[in-house]
Amino acid sequence: MSALPGGPPPSPTASGTVDRLVRALGRLPGIGAKSAERLAHHLLRCPVEEAIELAEAVRAARDQIRHCEVCAHLTESGQARCAICRDPRRDRSVICVVEQSRDLMALENAGSFGGTYHVLLGRLSPLQGVFEDQLNLKSLEERVQGGEVREVILATNPTLEGDATARLVADRLAPLGVAITRLARGLASGGSLEFANKEMLADALQGRQRL
Amino acid sequence: MAAIRTLALVIRSVDVFETSRVLTLYTRELGKVSALAKGARRLKSPFQSGLDLLSVCDIVLLHKASEALDLLTEAVLAERYEALTHDTAALYGGCYVAELLDALTDRHDPHPRLFDASRVTLRHLGDPVSRPSRILRFELACLRELGLMPALDTCVHCGQPPSPTEGDRVAFGLATGGVLCPGCRPGQPHVATLSGDTLEAIRALASPGDAWKATWGDPETLGPVRSTVGAVISHLIGRRPRLLPFV
Ligand SMILES: [Zn+2]
Ligand SMILES: [Zn+2]
Repeated sequence: MSALPGGPPPSPTASGTVDRLVRALGRLPGIGAKSAERLAHHLLRCPVEEAIELAEAVRAARDQIRHCEVCAHLTESGQARCAICRDPRRDRSVICVVEQSRDLMALENAGSFGGTYHVLLGRLSPLQGVFEDQLNLKSLEERVQGGEVREVILATNPTLEGDATARLVADRLAPLGVAITRLARGLASGGSLEFANKEMLADALQGRQRL
Repeated sequence: MAAIRTLALVIRSVDVFETSRVLTLYTRELGKVSALAKGARRLKSPFQSGLDLLSVCDIVLLHKASEALDLLTEAVLAERYEALTHDTAALYGGCYVAELLDALTDRHDPHPRLFDASRVTLRHLGDPVSRPSRILRFELACLRELGLMPALDTCVHCGQPPSPTEGDRVAFGLATGGVLCPGCRPGQPHVATLSGDTLEAIRALASPGDAWKATWGDPETLGPVRSTVGAVISHLIGRRPRLLPFV
């Protein structure tokens, strides 16, 4: 039912929300009106975390478009390298490894880091089907093998998966003889870097420890 | 609306909205539940370093019958398993435990003994020698606790002893729930042939006491047990578990 011209705007009712989902699904290639309804129905009945996982997967995939050819951070369109990698004042001998661009931006906002970054584009997450080979690790090894790098700081999140990812990166880089450090554990485990405030991030960087 | 306090193992965690998480929890008192933890991703979250994947927390849940998601109001970390972050093989084992609890159990169907078995298993996954046996022991504990244990001693169809035909080898229905006698075997789908040693190892791994420790670090014995138990579980859940190739 559409609102009459000049009448009050339709209220955001429950059925309006369902309609929005059906319309969004119906715009996908090969999905007609009937299929869109069937899919919407399925998404409303399946376990809620499954539906949310789909939404997050779509968002994550779209987030990972256009990466810097050096560090895989997001770049402005038309640029092969991100603003940080292009900046001649950044210290290329220190690389800070993060899970995703959003963590990088949190560290940048803290303003206390003058090195460069490397974005893994994820973390070891076996239950979501993310294993070692899906992480952006090979190009990190290549950067370190280049010989310019003195220290690699592991700034993955203080969670089970983040810690396991840090350990994996450390093991992969160990034969290359570079110093490897981990952010200090002032950050409570289970949280996300992107929500830390400036002081916490500056402290964690300052107090980083050798692995 | 009832508030319930229980111990819970986090078996799935999905970030939602800005700072929250939707968790699948395997709880001691309520079995599997889904719960919303508002603000859990903040470093100063209301949940005090709890709620990380594969950690055990002491939680308080608000259960509303009308809603699919319970609301988590408190969580304090009770136990976390450091070894899972040191060694990817241990991590994969721990994730397999979570995957099985999620796939094999029903919501709100509590099995406190299975919860306890999960904790014991997670606690010792850092030891590479006992790890493969420990994971098998956990799988068999799951099957027994949930009433899905394959018959090991008598034919699953007629109840007679299987009376081995080729030496000590016995037919075993992977989809039909255990040992088959020669009379009942014809026409059964997905039948494997197990040696007496393999059956004996499965019995030991499924029994209380220390007999299962004889299988530690014995890949020759564990190989056929691994493929048998993996096949039984795959048939039960209708697909191969994602982590099965890694354990
Ligand atoms: Zn870059
Ligand atoms: Zn029979």
